Amino acid sequence: MAPARDTPFRSAEMSMVQLYISNEIGREVVNALGELGLVQFRDLNGDISAFQRAFTQDIRRLDNVERQLRYFHAQMEKAGIPLRKIDLDVNTLAAPTTTEIDELAEKSQSLEQRVSSLNESYETLKKREVELTEWRWVLREAGGFFDRAHGNVDEIRASTDNDDAPLLADVEHNHSAPDVERSFSGMNIGFVAGVIARDRVAAFERILWRTLRGNLYMNQAEIPEPLIDPTNNEPVQKNVFVIFAHGKEILAKIRKISESMGAEVYNVDENSDLRRDQVHEVNARLNDVQNVLRNTQQTLEAELTQISRSVAAWMVLIGKEKAVYNTLNNFSYDRARRTLIAEGWCPTHDLSLIRSTLQDVTNRAGLSVPSIINEIRTNKQPPTYLKTNKFTEAFQTIVNAYGTATYQEVNPAIPVIVTFPFLFAVMFGDFGHACIMLAASLAMIYWEKPLKKVTFELFAMVYYGRYIALVMSVFSIYTGLIYNDVFSKSMTLFDSQWRWKVPENWQHGMSVEAELAEPNGYRYPFGLDWRWHDAENDLLFSNSYKMKMSIILGWAHMTYSLCFSYINARHFKKPIDIWGNFVPGMIFFQSIFGYLVGCIIYKWTVDWKGTGQSPPGLLNMLIYMFLQPGTLDMQLYRGQATVQVILLLLAFTQVPVLLFLKPFYLRWEHNRARAKGYRGIGERSRVSALDDDDGDDNGHAAGGRASEDEGVAMITQDLGDEEHEEFEFGEVMIHQVIHTIEFCLNCVSHTASYLRLWALSLAHQQLSAVLWSMTIGPALATTGIGGAIYIVVTFTMFFVLSCIILIVMEGVSAMLHSLRLAWVESFSKFAEFGGWAFAPFSFQAQIEESEELKEYLG
Amino acid sequence: MANGYSIFVGLVVIVALCLAAWFFSPKGENQVLWRSSLILTFVSCYLMWAITFLAQLHPLIEPRRSDLRKEFLNH
Repeated sequence: MAPARDTPFRSAEMSMVQLYISNEIGREVVNALGELGLVQFRDLNGDISAFQRAFTQDIRRLDNVERQLRYFHAQMEKAGIPLRKIDLDVNTLAAPTTTEIDELAEKSQSLEQRVSSLNESYETLKKREVELTEWRWVLREAGGFFDRAHGNVDEIRASTDNDDAPLLADVEHNHSAPDVERSFSGMNIGFVAGVIARDRVAAFERILWRTLRGNLYMNQAEIPEPLIDPTNNEPVQKNVFVIFAHGKEILAKIRKISESMGAEVYNVDENSDLRRDQVHEVNARLNDVQNVLRNTQQTLEAELTQISRSVAAWMVLIGKEKAVYNTLNNFSYDRARRTLIAEGWCPTHDLSLIRSTLQDVTNRAGLSVPSIINEIRTNKQPPTYLKTNKFTEAFQTIVNAYGTATYQEVNPAIPVIVTFPFLFAVMFGDFGHACIMLAASLAMIYWEKPLKKVTFELFAMVYYGRYIALVMSVFSIYTGLIYNDVFSKSMTLFDSQWRWKVPENWQHGMSVEAELAEPNGYRYPFGLDWRWHDAENDLLFSNSYKMKMSIILGWAHMTYSLCFSYINARHFKKPIDIWGNFVPGMIFFQSIFGYLVGCIIYKWTVDWKGTGQSPPGLLNMLIYMFLQPGTLDMQLYRGQATVQVILLLLAFTQVPVLLFLKPFYLRWEHNRARAKGYRGIGERSRVSALDDDDGDDNGHAAGGRASEDEGVAMITQDLGDEEHEEFEFGEVMIHQVIHTIEFCLNCVSHTASYLRLWALSLAHQQLSAVLWSMTIGPALATTGIGGAIYIVVTFTMFFVLSCIILIVMEGVSAMLHSLRLAWVESFSKFAEFGGWAFAPFSFQAQIEESEELKEYLG
Repeated sequence: MANGYSIFVGLVVIVALCLAAWFFSPKGENQVLWRSSLILTFVSCYLMWAITFLAQLHPLIEPRRSDLRKEFLNH
């Protein structure tokens, strides 16, 4: 009997469906299905390369639009305009029509042109501005040189121009010609002025010096403010230089060198009046340029601000649209009938929903040709689709991290929801630490919505597992109460079952033993008696208790897990798995470890002091049971030797059953089928595109038969690659031998593996005790103001270290151990993990996964 | 109050709780989830309690201390 609905107990029932969609509404249908997110389409065009597919053109066009949108985003970042992010939880985007997409494409095209032309003019203007600024600096600085130089022009002149002038003549000369034009040209000295990046100055100087053999006079000054390089918007420190040299050729050389060094050479007039005019002119032009620049920038910013409001939404729309066309590319196109044929997997129980969605789209489009959805039968293994909700999601993720469950086998996450946090709690049992953890997880659940937006990865991980943390902490509170541990201290919730047996001559420091208050009556009702706390032989007791508890819990966990293999065998209708695997396995496990657990419990129930016998060691008992069957070290109960021999025989007779029953049964079954004349189906797959039970759309099926035939051909061809499993006895046998050896050895090693429960809970308890005694413990004995300060300091240390080491680090370690117990010890007993995950075409999943869209989503 | 029979009292309580969980789990596709989780929780917690209780039922060793102060001797 199939369940009426898919439950989380096993993966959803899946159907392979074939869709016939009229070409006109293909896009709309895929859009609607993408919103629904319930169909995983198969690629029907595997042999056609990506470039030859039908909708590649559209995808290219959308790629272009996407590029433009990214360009806007980059420009916005450059201009420092914040992007208005889109929050898909708040505003949903309606599915766009084709014309809307076209409009969007056109709009972004024209916007791109506008933005890029604005950008271009902005850049040219900026360059112009920089040039003018540089020129102004050159004028200013060079002017300074000239003014300083003019003061001693005459000296220079005297020493260079007139070699044969009398030494005293210069004084005279000066006096006689005061109106001589004080000019360099008169001296046949020319100059080059310009601007060069500061880090190149040294090289520039050296090159000039070498090429001109020192025939120059170079003067430079630093420009105090950094200039902006318009090509990459980075500030550059520059120097103004003026080089004086002799002769036109040399000047030309200098000019060339400076150009090749990346310096800008500017025209500076040596006449100070002309220079003043030049400065004025430059200033005026600079002003103009700056004005235009400001305007351009404002326009650009206005434009970008306008775009920033909607670019995120556009990005999402284009992303969806692209996904739609990518999906459409997987469809096969029937040119004769202008029909798209799609194939895919969907949950069987959601077929009606998909059908009505198709109907809706067709009606809205006003098409007379209906879209048809047909279920087809296939021998392909369906994908595993495990529905999750907010609570189970994280648990399911833990399981999926190990593997994808086989289609329809018991969902391993079902037991994990309780066993994983519970085993964690057994290792983490401390009431205090658990309460802090509970508070944290409750806070994460209470502020679920605002915290969802936090992108800090480590926190996002913890947040994702908030419900696991909740269940873990609740169980830890319980186990903390059982262990009677709160920050390593005990709680005296009930009266103790112990009473100190005080000797007559008791003195302080004497060892005191306890005795039962009521030897046959009252026992501590819940958890560990607090008298054990801080007792000298506390560990002696708690180790024995926790070790035995680990074995019992492990046995229970494994037995429980093994039972699922029975449910799986029942579900898949494989009785041989019950008789050949489950039953012998169970008997083997129970007759050894079930017996051990029984003995542990029996030993606890016997009042050994009352009977006067000495209690037998169970470990020795188990060892002797194997080494010397039939003989006993110490007797636990009457007839023990016989029982043990029988159990041992029972266990060992299961080994051949485990080994041979299943392979031989399969061979017998195979041979019987052969004898009756059945043959393997071979490479042909049982596929029929026709809906055999001819449901509601009888008429349409008749209409679309011709194209359906094509569909069938396509499918059979497609599925042909899948090899049919030939029965091979050797392989089955080897598989079973491995399974048997593994199972028997694992029974031992896995049981031992559960001892980690004891080890970790011991470590946690001891660690918290040490932390207490090293921080706040000694501080509590101090008095006075110093003591108060001491307590505050040590308490802070105690609390912080408790949180970091005992909750976070120990918690992570306990979690990993518990995870291992789930993955290895439990899953190996029943789960096959041979499935492949259902990945439906869904916009939501796509947007969540997309790295690129992440920065656009709020 | 609490002696050896408590194990069975606890067992009865747990069975009752499990039955309640089975019958009062909210209907719907998550019913199986509710049932399995609740019952598994009750059983695990019972197991843990029962193990702890049994371990102290007929203790083989007694607590021993030598750092007791006088006022706690009869406490």
